[in-house]
Amino acid sequence: MKFFTKFSKAKILFLAFIFTISCSKDDPDAVNEQEFISNVILTIESADGTSQTVDWDLSEMNSQTINLKVNTDHNVGIRFINSSDPNDIEDVTLEVIAEADEHQVFYEFADVSVNVTSASNDTKDGGRGVLLNSVWNASSMGTGLVRVYLIHQPTNFNATTRDGLGGFNDVAIDIPVSIVE
Amino acid sequence: MKHKSIHFYIVLNCLFIWNFTYGQECNLFLKGIVTDFHDDSFLIGALVKIEGTNFFSQTNLNGEFEIEGICPGRYVLNISHPNCKSKTKNINLKDNKIFDLKLEHHINELEEIIVSDSRLSRTRKSVQEVLVDISEINSYGSNTLVDALNYIPGASILKTGNSIGKPVIHGMYGSRVGIVTDGFRQYDQQWGPDHAPNVDFDSFETIQLIKGAAALKYGGDTSAGSIILSSKRKVLRDTLFGTSFINLESNGWGGKFGSRLEKNYSNGFYINGNFTGKRYGDLNSPNYILSNTGFKEVDFSIKLGKDLVSKGWNLKYSNYNLEPGILKASHIGNVQDLFFALNSSEPSIIDDFTYNVGAPNQRASHQRLTFKYFRSFKNDVKLDFGYSYQNNKRKEFDIRRGGRTNVPVVDLLLKTHNLMLGFSNIKMENWDFEFGYNGLIQDNFSTPDTGVKRLIPDYIKFENGIYILGSYQESNSFLWEWGLRLDHVFYDAKKYYYKSVWEERNYDVLFNQFETGTDFANQILVNPKFNYLNVSAQTGISKKISDNSEFNISYILSQRAPNPSELFSDGLHHAMAAIEYGNLSINPETSHKFLLSLSKTKPNYNWSLEPFISKTFNYIFIEPTGLKQTIRGAFPVWTYKSTDAFLTGIDLNYSQSIIENLSFDIGASYVYAQDILNSEPLILIPPLNSFQKLKFSPKKSKWTFEISNHISAKQNRFPDSNFIFDYIEDGTIVSKTVDISESPSGFHRLDAIFSLQIRNQKNLTTNLRLIAQNILNSEYRDYLNRMRYYSSELGRNLQIQLNFNY
Repeated sequence: MKFFTKFSKAKILFLAFIFTISCSKDDPDAVNEQEFISNVILTIESADGTSQTVDWDLSEMNSQTINLKVNTDHNVGIRFINSSDPNDIEDVTLEVIAEADEHQVFYEFADVSVNVTSASNDTKDGGRGVLLNSVWNASSMGTGLVRVYLIHQPTNFNATTRDGLGGFNDVAIDIPVSIVE
Repeated sequence: MKHKSIHFYIVLNCLFIWNFTYGQECNLFLKGIVTDFHDDSFLIGALVKIEGTNFFSQTNLNGEFEIEGICPGRYVLNISHPNCKSKTKNINLKDNKIFDLKLEHHINELEEIIVSDSRLSRTRKSVQEVLVDISEINSYGSNTLVDALNYIPGASILKTGNSIGKPVIHGMYGSRVGIVTDGFRQYDQQWGPDHAPNVDFDSFETIQLIKGAAALKYGGDTSAGSIILSSKRKVLRDTLFGTSFINLESNGWGGKFGSRLEKNYSNGFYINGNFTGKRYGDLNSPNYILSNTGFKEVDFSIKLGKDLVSKGWNLKYSNYNLEPGILKASHIGNVQDLFFALNSSEPSIIDDFTYNVGAPNQRASHQRLTFKYFRSFKNDVKLDFGYSYQNNKRKEFDIRRGGRTNVPVVDLLLKTHNLMLGFSNIKMENWDFEFGYNGLIQDNFSTPDTGVKRLIPDYIKFENGIYILGSYQESNSFLWEWGLRLDHVFYDAKKYYYKSVWEERNYDVLFNQFETGTDFANQILVNPKFNYLNVSAQTGISKKISDNSEFNISYILSQRAPNPSELFSDGLHHAMAAIEYGNLSINPETSHKFLLSLSKTKPNYNWSLEPFISKTFNYIFIEPTGLKQTIRGAFPVWTYKSTDAFLTGIDLNYSQSIIENLSFDIGASYVYAQDILNSEPLILIPPLNSFQKLKFSPKKSKWTFEISNHISAKQNRFPDSNFIFDYIEDGTIVSKTVDISESPSGFHRLDAIFSLQIRNQKNLTTNLRLIAQNILNSEYRDYLNRMRYYSSELGRNLQIQLNFNY
């Protein structure tokens, strides 16, 4: 019997413990995500003076179509932006330029054939162009898409396929491409 | 017992045996009391025998023995007790004699638990458990606690690379496996599959593995089972002794070193210290180096206390630090990278061997302070009181842009206060009761400085539990046990959700009460509060069928509140290329489990058979629920969900001595696990596995040689978690399947151990061991290793191990 009275005491103690303790945590600070990229902005200027800005926005997950003219050089600039905090918009491109030795922009086309070379104003690491500024030239008409990559720490900068480059993707997005006369 | 001239009169429950003889001059008696050498307590059931005669007596509850009708003469008296070293004494009997005898507890395998530091006897006698000596585990050349479990049927390891492993019991891991050290549960973010238990097992002396939530004293939520680490009881003698070990290994070109020094005083006071250090470079698989898999560990502990058998206290501080590297090639950007990794036979990054570790890596530290007090009262009721504080820091580093690689992506500080109070050994006739209370306050803090969304939010957790255990034992051959536990769990979390996610998951309707009104850009702060009341229970019987065979059956009910990761997870898991989401709507899981064990022990062979069957309602698991487009490409989304799960399995063990010097051991285990609601197998269930061991130990020589073989079959039962993604190949888009579900083929691994024991003049032993693991250098992948997508398991490893006592 003595044992059971002890047990009830423990029970009362337990209930008392639950109801007496009430404290709460302070509100944590929100994390403003660093290294985060919310927008990829491509500016396309053709040799004849027409220009187009294509903004791939994370919240909308899409963008307008890139329009190219066949057999014409286009200067294509790419910028990476973090606008997750509207009061503090960051230009991530600057980080890529600062770490040019471990980044590579890479364009892969589907259903269209476009030749990409490093532009004269491109960011260079040794002799290699990072392709932040590039020259695009389409050899035939058609519609397709371009997969835009920002690759961090590629293992082989000279490769011509995404598989061959190695490393890992900081950006991999698809943008429709239309090539006309 | 056959002798006709002796009559027995056995008083039931008293174990008191009276002897009579008929004789002429032989009417002398011999009586006295047998006591424990350490605390002068009475030894019950000690056998006092006159050698060469049929005269004997067994001590009663007061330690008394009495032998009558002895003829005068010289005799040799033999005093024995199951828990003590036997003693012989020469006597010359001329008159009636009264004298007292003292016996000292000896240390044998069973004894270690009975007199272990935390005074654990077998946690529950009706549930089979495995007890292993740490030194035995060391002899297999294991480096981590969980590696050691490979040698116990029914237990396996879930790995992330080779330095990070979690125990798996009966196919379950994480929060379903409890780890108890020094009488307290270990709290170290144990929910994560890639978080190794932050324990230095070298500083403990025994491991108990309990399959099933039978250790109700420590918690009722560990439906898989518990692992209990403890130290041995101190010797009440003025002694100073130490042990040291050095272990050098060829795989990883590293090793470990450890030392332990202990000083005991005859007044019961003791002080001891432990140190363990480990350092390994890149490990290697048979054909390539596993770049960035080196690790280091530095641990120490200091303990002091006073142990007087009937009362005592101790204070212990321990510090554990582990810094493992994670295979560099496993850091991937998106599913395309994962696809390439899966279709490549080698990791994408293989560098030269180095001791340096870079990102991705982890840094974990665990500090622990425990205080314990116990005392036994006159009526043998024992009071235990304890408090523990655990401080766990965990940092995870990833390859980052903008020079942020040195800034962790996960930075958590978990502080846990534990309080326990227990009364045990409350005896009423054939009944034995135990009851107590455990309380816990836990505070998790996640630093915002990481610049990455918190994986686990800030929270406070309160837990209060009470338990009562009882057992009824009528005779030595039958025991009935039961136990009941009630736990109240309360979470108070503060977490930022992206508004889009909060609304997408309908939380703005379901959990509207949690919204605080505070927001930051596109995130909102919510304050989820959850209360859970869990009931757990166990009942079982243990029956001796004959002198050498035993039968146990047990039913266990356990309930577990969802853990913080199951509720709140939110983020990208790099090595899995998966976005993991917690789920606020999940309920506690309830598991019913039946355990059966049959065992037989004979001098030249023994076997045990342990089947189990369990059904879990609301079994919480994570499964793929679609693809999410991000700026890094598409990622599969994994969300915590619950289902009903059915698990059954069997573990078996058989050993046989073939000839005098040669013994053979075999162990095997199999688990079948099915998700009933979705009619598919559960993920990450260990495949059928077995080990066989042949041990040669020549008589009178100091060496032994053993060879063992581990076989693991292919796991043919796995759910389909594959997904499809678009891939540009030769200028066109093609769809490819990312096959993350398929299990690797079965494998076998051969190990050998040569062991030599040397004794010096002071009778102290030194052990030299030569160990070869994966002798055949066979290349294989393990289904339970999350790095199997990227690399194969370790290749051949040669070890030299030196262990000495002084």
